[in-house]
Amino acid sequence: MSFQEALNSGKFVVTAEVGPPKGTDIAALHHDIDILKDKVDALNVTDNQSAVMRICSLAICRIVLEHNAEPILQMTCRDRNRIGLQSDLLGADVLGIRNVLCMTGDHVLAGDHKGAKPVYDLESVQLLTAVDSLNNGRDMAGNGLKGGTHFFQGGVVTPEANPLAPQLAKFEKKIRAGAKFFQTQAIYDIDKFKEFMTFARRFPVKVLAGFVILKSAGMANFLNKNVPGIRVPEDLINELKAAGKEKALETGMDIAARHIRRLRDENICDGIHIMAIGMEDKVPVIMRKAGLL
Amino acid sequence: MIITQKKDRKELLENVKGYRSFFLLGCSECATLCGTGGQEQLDELKGLLEGEGRAVAGAFVAKTGCQVLGTKVELKKFKEELGKADCIIVMSCGAGTQSAVEMFEDKAVYPANDSMFLGNMTRLQMFDERCSLCGECILDKTGGICPVTTCPKGILNGPCGGTKDGHCEVSAEIPCAWVRIYERMEKTGRLEEFKAGTLAAKDWSASVKPRKLTAREEKKK
Repeated sequence: MSFQEALNSGKFVVTAEVGPPKGTDIAALHHDIDILKDKVDALNVTDNQSAVMRICSLAICRIVLEHNAEPILQMTCRDRNRIGLQSDLLGADVLGIRNVLCMTGDHVLAGDHKGAKPVYDLESVQLLTAVDSLNNGRDMAGNGLKGGTHFFQGGVVTPEANPLAPQLAKFEKKIRAGAKFFQTQAIYDIDKFKEFMTFARRFPVKVLAGFVILKSAGMANFLNKNVPGIRVPEDLINELKAAGKEKALETGMDIAARHIRRLRDENICDGIHIMAIGMEDKVPVIMRKAGLL
Repeated sequence: MIITQKKDRKELLENVKGYRSFFLLGCSECATLCGTGGQEQLDELKGLLEGEGRAVAGAFVAKTGCQVLGTKVELKKFKEELGKADCIIVMSCGAGTQSAVEMFEDKAVYPANDSMFLGNMTRLQMFDERCSLCGECILDKTGGICPVTTCPKGILNGPCGGTKDGHCEVSAEIPCAWVRIYERMEKTGRLEEFKAGTLAAKDWSASVKPRKLTAREEKKK
């Protein structure tokens, strides 16, 4: 079942992600893909995440396909203009990539080539429009294509954004631009997320809640302090603290499993996007704890 | 106005080390307001050069350094001083420097400043960049606040996920352009317009360099 079919089937969908490495040694990446591929419905492949230069998402998506797994091509607007983006989208299509996640992308100042010229010829809403146009056989300039693309395109949204109203307005713009699914920034406050979902359910789109595995109270504090749009509530931080150093990761995984169960059992959203960030082997463990395996 | 900053003086002296006699050319407009090309800065550089044993044949603050013809007329009275100088140091913006290059075909011209941006002066010698001269103004659609300039990503359709408490992921010093636009459009009763409109990708062909414009109407013969 493809990712799109899985979402349309009404099952609780699970996605995880792999981050391409910096350098050509992809042994660990092969390993991560193998751990995840039969467990999740699709695998996001990040695009020079945090603006740190790495192997391109496109190449690793193809490798994911060669493992008989389904990739979601993350595409940011930071490094390519509209010619480069559309060209890579056509390339992705002929390589068999069917899912694309459109984002504006972290600024180059967040990364390891701070002197690079940020492109942003397009941004997320316009990239979604471009994908829709390519799917309909035309490029952004209106030229006909000899063969259109076949993408199932999505976007990202930050339910914890502060202020929230402009973020929600943009969410609607993304839907109008053709977004079919959303993966959210990590959420930890389910009650607050439910409010967001009440809004999101008004639209014909699928929403996967984002979740970054918490391995310690320190990490939770770090996320709160440094990552815009992530808010780990105090009670979860206390729970991690109370677990002590030895048991913190185990507790973090329990929290993940508990959240997933609630999201699924209360039918709050359509699935979960687990960002393991180096702990890919923990994803199946969490899924088992959550009763998904 | 055009915001300029003094080049590091060591670097400037290194750039002009091959010349013996100088003419310093400032500008009474932007560079004076920026504190980079007014009389005070000319005197300062004169002192610095003379302290290094170099001659300063003359110095003048032009009215508007980017106005080629006007500056040329103003400089007529400095014919002798300019004749003595083998190098002209321009203490305004890159446009002023290139006015001098056009006027003095066979003389070395060096810039004393780095040209930064088109700025609004918020307080004395405090400047903000609000317009990037993109050639296709969209302020009519964004509540009068330019996201091309004041959002580091130049996003045209709302805030990215990097907004933190109304500020930018690039720097907490930068208020999120799209939060400002949203709030302004809300205050001015234009929220529906904000929500309904999606801005298409910009036409960057409007800013292909070098740009040229003839605004005057040619007299009919």
